[in-house]
Amino acid sequence: MRSTRRVVNIKSDEESGRYSDPPLLVLASLANGPKHGHAMIEDIAQMSGTKLGPGTLYGAIARLETQGLIEALPAEDRRQPYRITAEGLHVLRAQLNALNQFAKAGLKRLASL
Amino acid sequence: MNQRLARLLISAYPHWWRQRYGVEFEALLLAESGGFGNLADVARSAIRERIISPNGPDEPAFPFGLVATRPSAFLPVAMSLMALSVVIFHLFVYGIAREADEGTAAHIWQILMAGQLPLLALFVIKWLPRAPRYSLCVLATQVSAALASMAPVYLLKL
Repeated sequence: MRSTRRVVNIKSDEESGRYSDPPLLVLASLANGPKHGHAMIEDIAQMSGTKLGPGTLYGAIARLETQGLIEALPAEDRRQPYRITAEGLHVLRAQLNALNQFAKAGLKRLASL
Repeated sequence: MNQRLARLLISAYPHWWRQRYGVEFEALLLAESGGFGNLADVARSAIRERIISPNGPDEPAFPFGLVATRPSAFLPVAMSLMALSVVIFHLFVYGIAREADEGTAAHIWQILMAGQLPLLALFVIKWLPRAPRYSLCVLATQVSAALASMAPVYLLKL
C-alpha cells in the first residue's frame, strides 16, 4: 500500500497567489460603484480570485461601516447596497500604495535570486 | 440556502447584529449556496461577533475589571485559596499522616470546595454569554485555584 505520509500539499500558483484581506477587498470592490452583498462576493471573486464567505463579508462590512469607510444606501427590496465614503477612498488608496511598494520591493529581491 | 437554515444561522449572531444586518444578511444567505464552506463561515463569523462585539460596535464590551470583581467571580477563587491554606495549615500541624476519621479541617475543606459550585454556576450563567472572553479567563483562574487546593489532598492521599 502506498504511504501518503510524505505527500507534500503544494498549492498551485493561482491558489497561493490569492489575496485575502476582506476589508480591503470590500473597499476595492466598492471603488467602482455601490454594490449589495451578493454583487460584492461576485465582484471580489472576479477581481482577486478570492470567494468570500457570507459571514466573512458581513464581518468586514460591519467593521468598515463602524469606521465610517463605507455607508449604506437606501435598501432595494431586502438587499442593502453600500458605497465607499471619501474617507474609505483615502484609506483604500493609502493601503494599495503601501501594498504596491511592498510588492515592488519583494519582486525586486526575487529577481536578484 | 433555504430560509429555515438561514434564520437558524442568523440567530447565532448577537441581538444588535441581527437588528442591524439580519434582513439583508438573510437575503444574501438565500442567494448563496448552503454548502459546508458557507455554513462554517457563517458559524465562525457569528462566534466572532459574539466575542468581539457582543453589545454592538459602538458599545464597548464589559471591561475585564467589571467581570473579575463580581462576587461570583472572585469568591470561588478566595474559597479555593482558603481551602488550600486549611490543607497547608493541617500539614504543618499534623504532618501528612492520614487520619482514620475526617477531622474539622477536612470538613472545612469540603464545605469550601462544595460551596463554590453554586457560585461557579451562577457566574457561568450570568457572565459567559455577556463577556465570553473575559469570563473564560476568570473561569480558568477559578479552575486553577480549585485544582491547586485539590492537588495536595490527592497527591498526599489525605
